[in-house]
Amino acid sequence: MTLTAHHVVLPVALPLLVAFLLPLVGRLSDGLARLLAQLTTLAVAVIALLLWPAASDGGALVSAMGGFAAPIGIVFYADKLALMFVVALAVGLLLFRPRREHDSTKVQTLWLLLLAGGSGLVLSGDLFNIFVFYEITAVATYGLGASAHTGAGYGASLRYLLLSALGSAFALLGIALVYAAAGTLNLADLSQLAGERLTGPMGLTAFVLMVLGFGVKAELFPVNTWVPEVYTAAPTRVTAVLAGVVSKLAMVVILRLLVLLFQDPAALGFLLLLGAIGVAAGELAAFRSRDLHRTFAYSSIAQLGLMAVAFSIPGHAGVLAGIAVALHHLVVKPAFFVLADRWRGEIAGLTGAGRTSPLAAGLFVLLSLSIIGIPPLPGFWAKLMLFKAAIDAGGAGNLTAVAIILAATVIEAAYLFRVVGILYGTAPAGRPPLRFTLGELAPGLLLGAVLIAATVSVAPLGDGLTAMAADSADAAAYASRVLPGGN
Amino acid sequence: MKGNARAFASALFLIGLGLMLVTLFEALPFGGAPMQVGQAIAGRALEDTGATNIVSAVLLAYRGLDTLGEVAILFVAATAAGLVLGGAGRAEAQGTPAGFILRAAAALLFPFLLVLGAYIVIHGHLTPGGGFQGGAILAAAFFVPLLAHPASPVNHGVATVVEAFAGAVFVVIGLAGLVGGGAFLVPLLGAGTPGDLFSAGSLPLLYLAIGLKVGSELAGLMARIAAAGDPARQGGKA
Repeated sequence: MTLTAHHVVLPVALPLLVAFLLPLVGRLSDGLARLLAQLTTLAVAVIALLLWPAASDGGALVSAMGGFAAPIGIVFYADKLALMFVVALAVGLLLFRPRREHDSTKVQTLWLLLLAGGSGLVLSGDLFNIFVFYEITAVATYGLGASAHTGAGYGASLRYLLLSALGSAFALLGIALVYAAAGTLNLADLSQLAGERLTGPMGLTAFVLMVLGFGVKAELFPVNTWVPEVYTAAPTRVTAVLAGVVSKLAMVVILRLLVLLFQDPAALGFLLLLGAIGVAAGELAAFRSRDLHRTFAYSSIAQLGLMAVAFSIPGHAGVLAGIAVALHHLVVKPAFFVLADRWRGEIAGLTGAGRTSPLAAGLFVLLSLSIIGIPPLPGFWAKLMLFKAAIDAGGAGNLTAVAIILAATVIEAAYLFRVVGILYGTAPAGRPPLRFTLGELAPGLLLGAVLIAATVSVAPLGDGLTAMAADSADAAAYASRVLPGGN
Repeated sequence: MKGNARAFASALFLIGLGLMLVTLFEALPFGGAPMQVGQAIAGRALEDTGATNIVSAVLLAYRGLDTLGEVAILFVAATAAGLVLGGAGRAEAQGTPAGFILRAAAALLFPFLLVLGAYIVIHGHLTPGGGFQGGAILAAAFFVPLLAHPASPVNHGVATVVEAFAGAVFVVIGLAGLVGGGAFLVPLLGAGTPGDLFSAGSLPLLYLAIGLKVGSELAGLMARIAAAGDPARQGGKA
């Protein structure tokens, strides 16, 4: 079967189909249900990769659902950026797949729904449709956040639910404002009307409401208070996927909104402000925290703040830096959480843990060096691109953001090296050593290998990303692909 | 003291939000010129889909993917609730039977609710109503007897089978469009004569799938919550 543009719906339709049937399969055998779900996830990754060549030839694959052309119907828009995140999500969900556990079929069902919702989030080219997929992703997260079946997990998940529901209401209000002002929900159509109908206080309010709504998942200040709690209380594989991949999907939505609808200096300034506060607050809180899970959760807030700062810089340089930061964090943070899973509790209690598991400690050092930004690791290039874009764009706001990020990097280095020092310290006598089994460490090692491979091939990677970013930042190209006849 | 400050800040925030929205909505034209997509759909829906209920045409044809998404949201919420309530759902449902009026009314209501629910689902493409509304009534048909006889065992098996296949049918109808070389959820089977029971192509089939899925899901969810609530009530008495 050859794939056509209409097959871009499969990363959403296939997991939904299997998820609906999974409870039935699970009654026969939990193992069979798990196998089926994992094969589906693999199939989604393969389909996204097979669609890749066609997407890079024509710029993007566009499919109008039900055959109703935009702006009347819903369109899916699969450019390289969207397909890349679909692949990343599917691979992440496979790498941290649920094991044999209590209620494994239900967890696996939520896993598939997370795949369907997340894929729809980046593929959809319709504002309300994006909101529907955002809700699927959010509700799946409520369940998965509580899936450790601990009191802390239930509490964290409930508080996340309340915040997220408020955020969703805000996002919906923003979407309603856009619809009322412009009369359409199609992003391409909106991008042509934005200059006329989405300017001034109306446009800015709609943008602020949507950023605060989608920002709950994108861990943006000030709607990120759920992050440390949920990331600590949820099972580590859930945390790894949420922090590593799902948060970026919401950020991609915000990027689309910015590029297509809101190239307004006030909107960009608002995102820059939220991003810069996120970076500063995240790293300071990470410095104060005494537990690896919380440290990494706060560091994740800071990294998403970096992405927000990057996306707020107009032009493709900012988009490029944002995507680079996102990809780097996508590899590094799940690996960090793999390590945090074994090294639970007080950081001070980890004295000497590095000596008993040298491989894990080596991985920690590698990841730390990259996230701080030591050349030649990929994290350095990502931060360099961000600084270059911000300094080229100039302006007091951008330069202040650069200063904040530099200061935050020093703080980041301080707390990560403090942990390294503790890991290589002398363990007090008589305490049982914490060892990783190879199976536990394997996903982390794999991600570490990806990081090293990216370091070696940084030049071709940079070229590819530059082309992708230039295309993603081009609102006119987006509109012309979705609305070929013009409007 | 701290609580007061927080309440005051919240009130201030809400007043500000309200004023902002009032100002913005004042400036918005209502139902006027910019509603281009809505007006375009109102003009062509009958011709495109053959459904006399334009709301259904929008829900199932123009925005069918949103509807599939909403069905999925209900499903994911039910799954997440099942995960959190966990083993409690398996506890033996117990409780005192309800009074005579509720028991008699429940027995009387059951067939009527069933017929009404089915009617609203099946006529969704012709008259106001449809899968979500009819499905909720179908769920009520099965839940009212449970209120009357809390001790009666709930058979989750049938509900699970109906729910799974109904959901799958929706996606499969959508995928059938792909097999034909078209897009996902392309209306199939021709529009037919508007107003006939068998018209509007595959839209009534989609509504049937939604009705069955929503009905079985809601009924299952309510039964699970009732079962989960029971042991807690017993614990309170003891």
